[in-house]
Amino acid sequence: MGKRTKIDARGAFCPGPLMELIAGLKLIEVGDEIEVWSSDTGSAKDIPEWVAKVGHEMAGVEHCEGYDSIVVRKAK
Amino acid sequence: MAVPDLFIVLCSGEHEKLQMAAMMASVAAVSERPVHFFVSMNAVFAFDGTAPAEARYKGGAFSQLIREKGAPDAIDLLRQGKMLGDLEVHVCSMALDVAGWDEERLVEDLFDGALGLTKFLSDAEGGQLIVL
Repeated sequence: MGKRTKIDARGAFCPGPLMELIAGLKLIEVGDEIEVWSSDTGSAKDIPEWVAKVGHEMAGVEHCEGYDSIVVRKAK
Repeated sequence: MAVPDLFIVLCSGEHEKLQMAAMMASVAAVSERPVHFFVSMNAVFAFDGTAPAEARYKGGAFSQLIREKGAPDAIDLLRQGKMLGDLEVHVCSMALDVAGWDEERLVEDLFDGALGLTKFLSDAEGGQLIVL
């Protein structure tokens, strides 16, 4: 199992959490994961859409109190 | 099927339109879609490198909210789009001429040079064009 890096983007507005995720993906290895915490209500739909479009993998979305936890696995 | 390049012409100096244009450009660019961004008319004043952001951005009620809530800065979004995706930003050569500006007057680390409208439109053939 790959390593997991957490990005706390709570408080950032669209498209801030997505941009932070993309910047983070450039720094990790294929198979590693990033868990984004976002209070932006669009992220739970926008990030999976972006992940599907560019060819990474979703590892999960969890709705927490006041934010969403979105886990993305780097696939390429 | 290949997705056509996105061509965005920003003419308005309104902060809200600049914000939306920057959001569209940056998100498309990081989604593996080449983006070509062309700045002209009143929009040029929003990229004045000699003025602070609060003086550059002219807008209404939503502009105020963008500032108060700390939404991402439009010019920073465009820079992120360039850094993380395929985004070119050009300034209209006519707009620079009319304003009496040269490219050095514009914000740093963003523009890929001045361009004429004819060249931009020629490049945009076959792409998707959005004008704001």
